[in-house]
Amino acid sequence: MSAIPAPDLRAEMLRGAQSMAAAAPPSHERGITSDLSVDEALLIHAAGWEPLDLVCGVGVVSVPAGVWNWGRGMIDSASDSHDASVDIAAQQLRAECGKVKGHGVVGVRVEVSVHPHHVDVELVGTAVRPIHRKDPRGDDAALAMPFVSDLSARDFTLLLRAGWMPVGLAFGASFVYAPRRTAGTAMRQSTQNVELTNYTQAMYAARESAMEKMQRSALNVGGEGVVEVKVTEGPMRFARHAIGFTAWGTAVKLVAEEHQFVRPDMVLPLDDAVVQFEAESLRGTGSKGRRHR
Amino acid sequence: MTGPDTGGPPPDAAPGLAGGPHGDLPEAAVRRLESSAFSSGLTVPDFAACLDLGLEPVALVQGFCVMQWGWYGSGSGYMRGMSPFAAASQNAGAYSETYQCPHGFVGADHRMWGQNLEQSWVEAAWAQGYGSSYGRMVEEAEQHGAHGIIGVVDRVSNVADTGTTEFHFLGTAVTVKGGPPPAGGVPWSTFLAGQRLTKSIEAGFMPVAVVASMASVRVWAYCMTEYLMEGNYNWAPPRPVPVDQVSRAHMAVRQLARKHVRQMLAGDELHGAMIDIAHRELSQGDEVIDCTLRGNRMRRFKDYDEVALPRPTVRLA
Amino acid sequence: MSDPSPTGADPAPPAPPAPIQGATDLPKDAAHRLEELEHGLFTSDLSVNEFLLVKEAGFHPLGFVMGSSIYHIGIQTRKWGQSQELSKLTEAMYTARELAMNRMEEEAEELGADGVVGVRLDVNYYEWGNDSAEFIAFGTSVKAEDGTSYRNALGKPFTSDLSGQDFWTLMQTGHVPQGLVMGTCVFHIAHRKLTQALGSMGQNTELPNFTQALYEARELAMTRMQDEAGQLNASGIVGVRLEEKSHQWGSHTIEFLALGTAVTKGSGEVTLPKPTTIISLDN
Repeated sequence: MSAIPAPDLRAEMLRGAQSMAAAAPPSHERGITSDLSVDEALLIHAAGWEPLDLVCGVGVVSVPAGVWNWGRGMIDSASDSHDASVDIAAQQLRAECGKVKGHGVVGVRVEVSVHPHHVDVELVGTAVRPIHRKDPRGDDAALAMPFVSDLSARDFTLLLRAGWMPVGLAFGASFVYAPRRTAGTAMRQSTQNVELTNYTQAMYAARESAMEKMQRSALNVGGEGVVEVKVTEGPMRFARHAIGFTAWGTAVKLVAEEHQFVRPDMVLPLDDAVVQFEAESLRGTGSKGRRHR
Repeated sequence: MTGPDTGGPPPDAAPGLAGGPHGDLPEAAVRRLESSAFSSGLTVPDFAACLDLGLEPVALVQGFCVMQWGWYGSGSGYMRGMSPFAAASQNAGAYSETYQCPHGFVGADHRMWGQNLEQSWVEAAWAQGYGSSYGRMVEEAEQHGAHGIIGVVDRVSNVADTGTTEFHFLGTAVTVKGGPPPAGGVPWSTFLAGQRLTKSIEAGFMPVAVVASMASVRVWAYCMTEYLMEGNYNWAPPRPVPVDQVSRAHMAVRQLARKHVRQMLAGDELHGAMIDIAHRELSQGDEVIDCTLRGNRMRRFKDYDEVALPRPTVRLA
Repeated sequence: MSDPSPTGADPAPPAPPAPIQGATDLPKDAAHRLEELEHGLFTSDLSVNEFLLVKEAGFHPLGFVMGSSIYHIGIQTRKWGQSQELSKLTEAMYTARELAMNRMEEEAEELGADGVVGVRLDVNYYEWGNDSAEFIAFGTSVKAEDGTSYRNALGKPFTSDLSGQDFWTLMQTGHVPQGLVMGTCVFHIAHRKLTQALGSMGQNTELPNFTQALYEARELAMTRMQDEAGQLNASGIVGVRLEEKSHQWGSHTIEFLALGTAVTKGSGEVTLPKPTTIISLDN
């Protein structure tokens, strides 16, 4: 994987064992906590950054009563609550990052749960900072507004290498009531193949609205683009006639002069871990049968 | 330090869970450990990686403990209306924030004050259970003269009825070929095994121990929190309102877990941290939030070698 | 944006079985969102890997595009004992997907894209919509950095369900995607008569009904897919997938959907790089 000669593993293990043979000297180090795996920590180091600490942010915002009763159109209060909750959680996260002098938070795990009376958002990630080189955004700017990104450490490293940097979380949510047809319309349409334009409009509009809010939040943090957009949609567990749409992604910006091309090599793996071509893979729900790690 | 020939406790010692270096283990454990064949919980790739490092598996070891979550008497705070000052002696130094109702007198039912309270007795009980269980696993490893335990799996679960929790640890005890035993004879331990362990060693990190801590915060809701969480406010135009008391409780529980773990690190680093949140909503806006933080305590034994960025590739299959 | 029509009445446009045409099919929010994208912000549901590979291939992502349509599938009567295509249902499934895809292409056109990669076609069912389903098409629109036009034979942005990785690999081979082509066929499989079923009980035997029906249905779906590729003057189809679903019709009615990406050979000379063989030691 790397061009450096392989270290003597047994010698390294012996060194490690020796370090445990004597009682540890008292240390005044703060003791960093990080949720990165060793692979991720190594990649971050290879990119010239280091993990600082595990940080988190939580926001709980109420949803006014009666909001979920079946009405028409978009449910603005619910999306306002959602947005406010994400904002609070992100603020807390950035504050914790600032306390350890981090320049940003990577690998943020986002958990949103919508309840009848409140929306809870939890963000957990690892604060990082550049070790030897300067932050491409400028150290002061970075400390004043640390970036928050749900990119994994690996994706963060890839982006950096290509000359891009994450600037923040882009998110947008919208909630809509399922439209209703009158009995007469329903009867008339029961034998026809027909588009339900009411419904289409309502759903389409709600989806677009969530995407638009996501775009706006990306622009607000100074992003030039959003990658890894994930869209979720579904009825509320406790109110099946209300549908929520969310769109999340990481806002990014080109910080180098121009995009640096990666020039990948093509590889043909020889192990059986690779899925062989099977006729079965032609059928099914559309997944290509590729094993994901 | 006991070697593998020492055998179990003297034949007339009471089996079971008395205190002491051997007497704490069940009889069956002692018999199993005396056998010369080893069992290990490692998968084949992990086993291969283990041998690469010069580690020799010697035994599959486990530790177990069942704790009861009790009613700890009048100071336990399970009684509604506990004053913030009453449990001071039991709860000294614990996180506590109080909230006062902004209204005047409204009625007898009105919750005039509320509190976020760290339940240190719950945390102590958890620590005792986790610690005992871990300690028993380490004892079993010591019996075999192991230097360390890799591939540790820990499981905390509730047993059947309410109020009891079982803690179970499983790991593969290993010795470092040609290496010195750890200080004090206490084996080091780690959740890692296989390639991840190899890479940690390559990167210069030696596992010290598995560490974990649990923080528990009880939210006694005051009137504003109760109304917001129940959706009962209608005196203002309907708009989203941040529920400060609950948000702060959530933040506090995570920060506390992290603080407790940091105290156990003594300057070493925690890698691969895992956070688990258990959250119980009780009635009228009250809740209990438990946060468990677990990870590998690792000590740097050499400086980072420069690692080159790997070459990107595209797979053709 | 709330429904502007008065309570209970349907809005003015009639219910067409023919595919939608015309520029103003998209809701207001879409237009607004696309405008924002035209001012330089890009959005994409590409992963970082895919993003970098799309750039390697000489393209830049413009924006996440989508189209959807909620379609009511009418009842079609069928004979119990006869295997036949249910052409009304076929048409319905086809039209619904076309509507969704067309809207997605329209959004891509608005942005001035050369094509859309990573297209996903989903069908959602909601409890309150009896016999209706929502068909959604999503993807990321891209544009060539050097200004060459990669639009297809019909002058529209190409669509393809290729991932970023597959797109790059395809371009390395000198082929260019033309469009996502699909063929669909909803087929009813005859129920066997009681005497027939009893007659073959306990034997190892081919069931000619089923064989015939499923064979025919698949062939129809694949032929229609190839016809679409023909319309695009494609030289071939890659990544063909055949999906079979009963949706909500019960087990004797199945929709066969054949999907693939039609491609043509580009004009330039191409030398394929030699791949390196590796053995991965990871789990």
